[in-house]
Amino acid sequence: MTHWAILSGINGNLSAYEAVLADLKRVRCQVEALYILGDLVGPHPQCEALVQRVRQPRQGELPPQVCLGWWEEQCFNLHGMGSDPEATALLEQMGADGVERLWKSVSRQTVQWLRSLDFGFFEFDCLLIHGSMAGYHDMLTPETPPMQLLDRLLRADANTLFCGRSGQTFHLQIPEGAVTSTVTTLDAPAQTMTQTVRDRQVVGVGSIGREPGKATYTLYSPYTNAVSFRTVRYGTQGKGFGVG
Amino acid sequence: MNIAVLSCIHGNLEALEAVLREIDRQPVDQLYCLGDLVGYGPYPNEVVARIHELDIPTCQGCWDEDIVDGLNACDCSYPSLLAETRGRLAHEWTNREVSPETRTYLASLPLTLRQDTLCFVHGSPHSQHEYLLPDTSAFIALERVLATGADTLFCGHTHVPYVRNLENSRLTLKVASPSTHPSTHSATPLPSLKRIINAGSVGEPRHGRPNATYVIYNTDTQQAELREVEYDYTKTCAAILEKGLPAIFAWRLSKGLEYAEKTDDPTHVCER
Repeated sequence: MTHWAILSGINGNLSAYEAVLADLKRVRCQVEALYILGDLVGPHPQCEALVQRVRQPRQGELPPQVCLGWWEEQCFNLHGMGSDPEATALLEQMGADGVERLWKSVSRQTVQWLRSLDFGFFEFDCLLIHGSMAGYHDMLTPETPPMQLLDRLLRADANTLFCGRSGQTFHLQIPEGAVTSTVTTLDAPAQTMTQTVRDRQVVGVGSIGREPGKATYTLYSPYTNAVSFRTVRYGTQGKGFGVG
Repeated sequence: MNIAVLSCIHGNLEALEAVLREIDRQPVDQLYCLGDLVGYGPYPNEVVARIHELDIPTCQGCWDEDIVDGLNACDCSYPSLLAETRGRLAHEWTNREVSPETRTYLASLPLTLRQDTLCFVHGSPHSQHEYLLPDTSAFIALERVLATGADTLFCGHTHVPYVRNLENSRLTLKVASPSTHPSTHSATPLPSLKRIINAGSVGEPRHGRPNATYVIYNTDTQQAELREVEYDYTKTCAAILEKGLPAIFAWRLSKGLEYAEKTDDPTHVCER
């Protein structure tokens, strides 16, 4: 049975990405698609090499489908192409040193290429995205209020939402829910209806490059709806970078 | 305690004065305004001056924001291309017309107001541009109320007033894996009654009649009364034409309708 491999948060860590590609060759199931849900880049010395590796897969390797993440948005801001030219969020989170490291790690040519990437992907009934339809920054975790999780699914009209912003692996299922709504207008008497929801799920796909020496990613079968997580240990010469 | 909530005055001074006169005849203790003081209508400065003078707690609407920050929202600001074309003309006219004092006042407005268990916003707690329609998914509507921590959310923006009760809600969440999170299977009972009250529009109604609409809410009984006020809208229509605003605004004010397509995704949140 074929699966999708869903990655996120490589953060420029080529060593971690190579380790995951090697792991994909070892998995028993057939992998028919490879998704990278944003944060491909980051303040990492291997970043440019990683981007080249992703853009030019070797013979027999799947071409990754990459969408934008929080770090890509910070690159756009730094290069005057984003919604926050002051890069306020980046400065707050990483300080001036982090800004400088990101500037040095990602070339303008790479930023131009990043601009061509999608905000997310919709395949079958699945939304694959870095944060959510609410934005790159939207961090869904097991602690997120259930109604907020459902909102993110309903906004996209998706049954399954794969996200990578938190860097965590988690599988949250919403088997059922209901709410009764009564609407009164100026011209119509109160009308009551009960709305229900069934079998939705939010999956945190993990992080490849955030934790040095340990990469996590997700395998998903769109045919059986099965979700499994993989953890790959690798040499720590490629340092991971915390996103916070 | 009775509170009166107004929204979407849109430079229609005639309508505002009629509503204020009507409120004067009611046992109202406090007024709130949900923004969109300007846009479409002929008297933006006068409306802002009146609200300011009366010291009515007011949150910033999408039109107020656009006058302060410029039209830099994505095309989600309008429900359709047709509405966007008309809206752009109105924005340019209003932007030329408003005084520095008006602009400063609009810039000072908060996005959200609170009073005890009541929350006041223009569109939704997430964006002044988001439409909470009566047929928006009940789960999405409930999430918007829960996001505020309030029991009752007052909004405007749609120009059609309604009261929506959300109750008997439950949502089951199962943490399936991995082992780092304890596997749980819990039904989440949600608070008993949450409510959205849309105040409609004082100056640019779209409920099918030209009358101004607003709402009176009793905080003790939690009863909401949608109110409709007749006034001489033809004066505003004449002023719209006289001041060189697009004639369609006078036409639709006289009908109480928006002549444009419905938005495909009213809950889309603009990423500025």
